[in-house]
Amino acid sequence: MHQLTARIVAKEEVSQDIFRITLFAPAVAREAQPGQFVHLYCGDHQSYILRRPFSVHRLVGGDAFDVLVRVVGEGTRWLAGRRPKDSVDLIGPLGRGFNVDGQFSRALLVAGGMGIAPMVFLAGKIAENKVKVYTVMGAAGRAQLLDFMDLKRLTRRIAVATDDGSQGYKGLVTDILSKEIEETQPERIFACGPAAMLRSVAGISRRHGVPCEVSLEARMACGVGACLGCAVQARDAYLKVCSDGPVFTTDELGW
Amino acid sequence: MADLSVDIAGLKLKNPVITASGTYGSGKEYGQLIDINRLGAVCVKTVTLKPVAGNRPPRLWETPSGMLNSIGLQNDGVDAFIANDLPYLAALDTPIIASIAGTSVDDCSRLAKMLSALPEIDAIELNISCPNAKAGGVIFGSDEKLAADVVGKTRLATTKPLIVKLTPNTGDIAAVAVACERAGADALSLINTVLGMAVDIHTLRPQLGNVVGGLSGPAVKPIAVRMVWEVARNVGVPIIGMGGIMTAADALEFIIAGATAVAVGTANFVDPQAPIKIIEGINQYLEKKSIATVSELMGALKID
Repeated sequence: MHQLTARIVAKEEVSQDIFRITLFAPAVAREAQPGQFVHLYCGDHQSYILRRPFSVHRLVGGDAFDVLVRVVGEGTRWLAGRRPKDSVDLIGPLGRGFNVDGQFSRALLVAGGMGIAPMVFLAGKIAENKVKVYTVMGAAGRAQLLDFMDLKRLTRRIAVATDDGSQGYKGLVTDILSKEIEETQPERIFACGPAAMLRSVAGISRRHGVPCEVSLEARMACGVGACLGCAVQARDAYLKVCSDGPVFTTDELGW
Repeated sequence: MADLSVDIAGLKLKNPVITASGTYGSGKEYGQLIDINRLGAVCVKTVTLKPVAGNRPPRLWETPSGMLNSIGLQNDGVDAFIANDLPYLAALDTPIIASIAGTSVDDCSRLAKMLSALPEIDAIELNISCPNAKAGGVIFGSDEKLAADVVGKTRLATTKPLIVKLTPNTGDIAAVAVACERAGADALSLINTVLGMAVDIHTLRPQLGNVVGGLSGPAVKPIAVRMVWEVARNVGVPIIGMGGIMTAADALEFIIAGATAVAVGTANFVDPQAPIKIIEGINQYLEKKSIATVSELMGALKID
């Protein structure tokens, strides 16, 4: 865990109001694991003061990494307005990522919307361990289907669902998940996306008897496990999304 | 270097900057990011006799220049605190203030007695002001008689400096402060968070699972400075001022208004380096003004 000033080395609008920002921070890039996040101070303004958490999207060389930023409010608007050579104050890498060291040889990644953020990094990492990787991804439409080409390259089979049917199946990722599980026979499912989707993925995984890990989102203040603001109801206690997670097994959550 | 040391009822601090209870966990969460030994003191998260699960999420909502929280005093209980958190704190070279709360007067005095027996604990802060705990908490702090009762009985249970943390959610904070002083408080800390609420206009639901929560951050600072000034005029015991302190200038406002020391809370979330920057900033201010000691500034407010 470090607090440092990271220089922005690149920024690109990858879809409407979604930006890929490359941050130069060697210490963080070297330590980061898939599913971990960085806590960025988004502004020099007085009105919104809390940091915003972003998944480590992917490593860029050995010294930098990308975050994916969707503009949803003041903080993300400020961040999306930065330019190369600007700096941001960063704390990270934070939290517990996906368990990539488990004994498994086939894994299915499930991503919905901005839940795509940790998936390329994750796919690359587990592919290094000779794991066969498969992907199911969903988005509002073709334009919001981020990283499709990269995931296609890293995974053996990729299934797509879009709300408007502009690419792949018309509907939700969870509509096609059972079929993909049957086709790919994964030993692990790794999911990231909206809470309702993750609940549904957890149920489908359980019915197929496949261990599942989900990456949760929560409003955060400290990001380091001190304030207990990002609590999530787990099986028998509240857990901290920032430091116990953001990745949890669905067993831990009692889902 | 100016003399930044202060004395709070016999508790000697190398500088007047403390981290506020509830925002600093048990210290170790921030240990990788700052040198905790540079702090004036660490006030750890409130502990209770038995574990408290805390309030239903969501527990946070950001507001203009501030935030609402409704954590609800979540903690694993005093036994877990002693077993799991105290060893880290004991190794620090800065005073440790234990914060306690109870649902009854008896709880508070038992906790004070247990923690006073530990040499690693340098002072006790009695939290009678949490706006998020259903029983106890703020109920004691908003009424002079109840406050005097719990402070008096806790006083008898400890020989360590007893700090009482006050709530702004009361009609007359000075009256509660005076009652606490008479009942034996060695120092007062104020303010806890200001009771607030936010509504999601799309779902028609409250933004917090607990419906209401405590407002902190720069938004509450003017209220806090006013309350410190008002309490300082009415009591003789030292005051730890807090509420929205982000910078050295903020901290100096509290000291000039009458605080002996200050606590930094929400600012830790924004920038973990904030307490260190505040200590350095206070020193720079004193040097620039050729003021030899920070205590000279305490209550130095001039009203023409």
